[in-house]
Amino acid sequence: MRIVLATPLYPPDTAPQARYVKELAERLRKEHEVTIVAYAHIPEAVSGVRIVAVDKIKPIPIRLTLYTLALYRALRSADLVYAVNGPSVELPLFLLSFMRMSLVFGVVDSSAHERMKENFFTRLVHRTVRRHAHAVVTAMPPERPEILPFAAPPDTTAYEQAWKTHLADTFTYGT
Amino acid sequence: MEHNAQESWELYRKQELALLEPILESLRITLDAEQPHIGGERYLMHAVTTVSGKKLILLGRMQDSDKRVVIKATRDAAGKREIIHERECRAFLKQIRFAYDTFFAPEELLFTESGGFCISVQAYIEQPSTFLARPTPMQFALALKAFKAQEGAHATTYEHLRQIRTIFGSMNARAYLASFDRFSECVRGHEANAHLAPLLAQARTFLTRNERVIEQYAGFLTHTDFVPHNFRVVGETMYLLDHSSIRFGNKYEGWARFINFMTLYNRELEQALLTYVRDNRTPEEYEALTAMRVYRLGEILCYYTKTLPKSQGALRTLNEARISFWSSLLESLLTGTDFPDAAVEEYRRLRDSLRSSEEKKRQQELH
Repeated sequence: MRIVLATPLYPPDTAPQARYVKELAERLRKEHEVTIVAYAHIPEAVSGVRIVAVDKIKPIPIRLTLYTLALYRALRSADLVYAVNGPSVELPLFLLSFMRMSLVFGVVDSSAHERMKENFFTRLVHRTVRRHAHAVVTAMPPERPEILPFAAPPDTTAYEQAWKTHLADTFTYGT
Repeated sequence: MEHNAQESWELYRKQELALLEPILESLRITLDAEQPHIGGERYLMHAVTTVSGKKLILLGRMQDSDKRVVIKATRDAAGKREIIHERECRAFLKQIRFAYDTFFAPEELLFTESGGFCISVQAYIEQPSTFLARPTPMQFALALKAFKAQEGAHATTYEHLRQIRTIFGSMNARAYLASFDRFSECVRGHEANAHLAPLLAQARTFLTRNERVIEQYAGFLTHTDFVPHNFRVVGETMYLLDHSSIRFGNKYEGWARFINFMTLYNRELEQALLTYVRDNRTPEEYEALTAMRVYRLGEILCYYTKTLPKSQGALRTLNEARISFWSSLLESLLTGTDFPDAAVEEYRRLRDSLRSSEEKKRQQELH
């Protein structure tokens, strides 16, 4: 399957959602053709994954236009788009809602979700995108346990199981 | 030269204290009899630091509450700018919109201008033991927490950068390279350092090769002088004492300063932090950390080069030994070889034998 991951946050950004999208791409690339469309200055590379980056160091109207165009190009050949919530991704999706797409909407950034509620327009955009989605995901797997110098090596069983379940729940749609 | 710099600092200290003490008395503040932050090699630090102005950092007590306080006071225009800048940084950090974590700062008890002095009085943070006296695993946990808090503030957008530009400085890869060139020029400019030219050229090539990763991890809040004498720990809380060294730059600039410092003070912690980055972060991040360590070593070499014309006797010998020590570390980083513990031990022995008793006293409670 050709999967597009549309995200407002991507490493080097340190937000958990950024690391989540990178981990998602690393896992999906083993079976799928993955493209990430992200806001980033110099994104961290993932072997075998195409990354289209829109630099955030541009005024809002310019970066939104560039992101919408980048997403449009990526969506033309995609089987599925997984979009992480946030106005900077939701608005381009809203503008591209005329396109036929299988959309999985990841409402995984709770702070962006709360900020969205403060404004009528962003609420409207969010609701429209949500209606357009074939599935809505509201939780991320936990963060990878860290290997700490003065502690025993972490048990990653629960972490791996959480990812297995997450991928099965999220990406069985359309397969 | 040493005597000129030292005598001029001592004269400044005496004159300023004579004027300041009555003002502080009127503000119901009594100065401690011992003032470690204006003794020892403090005069040398002042003589070679071009960015900061003259100021006194004093310890005292509020007469009404008997609260122990730290007083920063100056009549010097550049010193005033520095105190005001630090205050602005502290205030801005509290309301920074895109910070996921915040820093704790000692409570500001008084800020005033009186008798030509700009005076900032902050609560003295008592800590049960110095950072370096704690067990290394605890030091590691505290340092990691602090670095993660700094990394939480990432200025990535046009709006963020516009917001911070007026308060904090901001460095990208090009600025780091240009800055390193200035350090390099400063070091090579002293005849005693002619032999360091090839090493500095090698360091510059290394930084150029890593320009992309330096840029990739730029835009993060970083404390460029994050070392134990600039923070205090009470329980789980870390208080930053110096807010003027905060800027937006490479994520690993603060790490680099801290790790280079720990090469000298706690090698176990140095290795733990390096291992942590290697095990938990991307290879590019480890490269960025190494590049920042190289950059910061260029800076420290320049710093000690500037002390050479201002020192003589034992202090001059010590400053030459410092240049030799940090350049050996730079060489080992560039060649990817382990820096021997014996080199650290030898340097520490020499340093301790050359330090003045006043400086030893100043250092006691510092870290």
